[in-house]
Amino acid sequence: MDTILHFLSISDRIDSCGDYKAPSLIIEVEAYKKLLLDLKANGIKLRYITDITKDNIQYCKELLKFAKEIRHLDDIRANFSVSETEYMASATLQEEEQQHIPQVIYSNVKDLVGQQKYVFESLWNKSIPADQRFREIEDGIEAEIFEVLNNSERVSQILLDLAKSAKRELLIHLPNVKSLERLERLGVIDYTINASQNGAIVRMICPLSAGNSRIVKKITDNAPAIKILNGNNSPYGMYIVDGEKVIRAELKEPNAEKFSESIGFAVYSNSRRSVESFRSVFDLLWNERMLNEELKRADKMQKEFINIASHELRTPTQAILSYSELLQKHPERKEEMIQAMSRNAARLQKLTDDILDVTRIESETLMLKIEPLNLNDLISNIVEDYRNQIERNDDDVRLFYEPQTTDSGSIIVEADRARIIQVISNLLSNALKFTKKEEGGSIYVTAEEEGEEKENHGSKRQEVIVSVKDTGKGIDPEIMPRLFTKFATKSETGTGLGLFICKSIIEVHGGRIWAENNNEGTKKGAIFSFSLPLNKKQQQQQHQQYTMTSERRK
Amino acid sequence: MKNDNNKILLVDNEADIALAFKIGLEDSGFTVDAFNDPFEALSNFKAGFYDLLLLDIKMPNMNGIEFYQQMKEIDKRVKVCFITASEMHYYEEIGKEIFPTLGVRRLIRKPIKIDDLVKDLREELKSVNHNNNNHN
Repeated sequence: MDTILHFLSISDRIDSCGDYKAPSLIIEVEAYKKLLLDLKANGIKLRYITDITKDNIQYCKELLKFAKEIRHLDDIRANFSVSETEYMASATLQEEEQQHIPQVIYSNVKDLVGQQKYVFESLWNKSIPADQRFREIEDGIEAEIFEVLNNSERVSQILLDLAKSAKRELLIHLPNVKSLERLERLGVIDYTINASQNGAIVRMICPLSAGNSRIVKKITDNAPAIKILNGNNSPYGMYIVDGEKVIRAELKEPNAEKFSESIGFAVYSNSRRSVESFRSVFDLLWNERMLNEELKRADKMQKEFINIASHELRTPTQAILSYSELLQKHPERKEEMIQAMSRNAARLQKLTDDILDVTRIESETLMLKIEPLNLNDLISNIVEDYRNQIERNDDDVRLFYEPQTTDSGSIIVEADRARIIQVISNLLSNALKFTKKEEGGSIYVTAEEEGEEKENHGSKRQEVIVSVKDTGKGIDPEIMPRLFTKFATKSETGTGLGLFICKSIIEVHGGRIWAENNNEGTKKGAIFSFSLPLNKKQQQQQHQQYTMTSERRK
Repeated sequence: MKNDNNKILLVDNEADIALAFKIGLEDSGFTVDAFNDPFEALSNFKAGFYDLLLLDIKMPNMNGIEFYQQMKEIDKRVKVCFITASEMHYYEEIGKEIFPTLGVRRLIRKPIKIDDLVKDLREELKSVNHNNNNHN
């Protein structure tokens, strides 16, 4: 004690810092308080750094009456004082020696004092003025609340206020279908929509049915960013605002019309720990619901696949079966019936091939035989075959190929010949199918080399773009977004697998495929295009990567 | 060959199948009008003319069920058999709700032999028309 008194008496200024407990100790322990009074009486200037919290804010304000200046530093743990000539630090932890004067380390060695002055100045520069910290605490954080409420009118009011105050995030878990209606009647849904419109992230779990679809539609129409997942019925509802406040109410009357009539006890809190724990409950629920929806989607797609595949398999089977029965009774129509049988057998084979391709694509076992190809020759040959077919069937369609005239007259890519033929044939067949319905239709095939300016591993990426443009009715806008997915077809004879397979083949080759409608003036029709890289090195790399993947999978 | 002379309206978008069924049913003594396009069938439809409709379900533009709903506006007495190549459970699920309200009792599965199809249609033609009772 004498040391401390001595220390304080010989200085005209003292710099000091203490942890978050120090302010209360200084004010509450008589001996310290007296020292402070002495300091002030002797005109000694005290600069003090501490961790100002909402628990010690009152002590800090009291301390400010004695100190020249107080500053705040988050989580500071040091407890020392330094004057012009001397240094002193507590040598025992205050946890152990709460009420007693601690043992102290004292030194007047010039170098040590100098070092400590430097440490203090560093901390001082990192800290913020007490006034600023006081404002932060008083504006931002209210006293911690954990209230159990049984006044349902008050719960309604708190819920409304919370919905109104939301700025960053709203997490809502509703117990049943009717809760959404009750919240709407209360006005909470409108505030929730406002919050989303003003940038808050809103997630909602609620049992969904026809009963509340009107409100769901209102929400998604006005605030499409709000994510709503279908939930199970639950005995309570929860509303978490900005990660700061939570209200959780038990559902007592599931069928009540008014919110206040539906709830039992409620808990309202702004304590960080309780908000965090409710939030983690919400996140768990959310993830479980997400998983559930994904499973449902996968299940629905699986059923859809089986249904469409079986329809496409049984239809040609029915035709073959019927004509084989009828052949015996109708020898006069033999030719016609055999043609129908072979037409349907071919359709069956095409579907079988397509389904096998899809299986290979989905199991990533589609093997490519990469070789250098001259696309110019390849397309010319396919186009020639199709011209013959058009002539044979007497279709009113003209087919043009306009190869780009390059210096060499050839477009070399590294690709699987059979697969590229498959893609081009598929695009041509589609074009033909939709063009021959119109009078005097045309199909234009083009292949153009293009150098993309995009830097890719330091080298310019070169590619060829092949397009098939027709004068058919064009692509139905309804189907456009899922054109390259499985079973997207508007035609009665397509398997709906062709474009999906094309996309996979082109992407495995490192290219892209896309479709658009022809919007040039009065022209109409569809344009399907794909690109293939011309860069040999890159091409080889991709091939190796792919076969490696395939082999690993086997 | 028994001559039923029952008149059947057949609608199936698959031309090969529609023709095969038409030939096969005519061999068994039915009179058959076959259409590939539901809209065309609808515009040629005359109330009281057909005894039975044989309708494919999955067709582009208008499915067989929608087609039958429109048909019933014109002819409440006409009997119906649906035929489909899709998974049965798929239509059984839908059917549970829609079929009873429409008086539909028979859903035939493709592929089917023509003899079996004839048998099914004759049974349906012999049956009491609940349809009638429901709507008169």
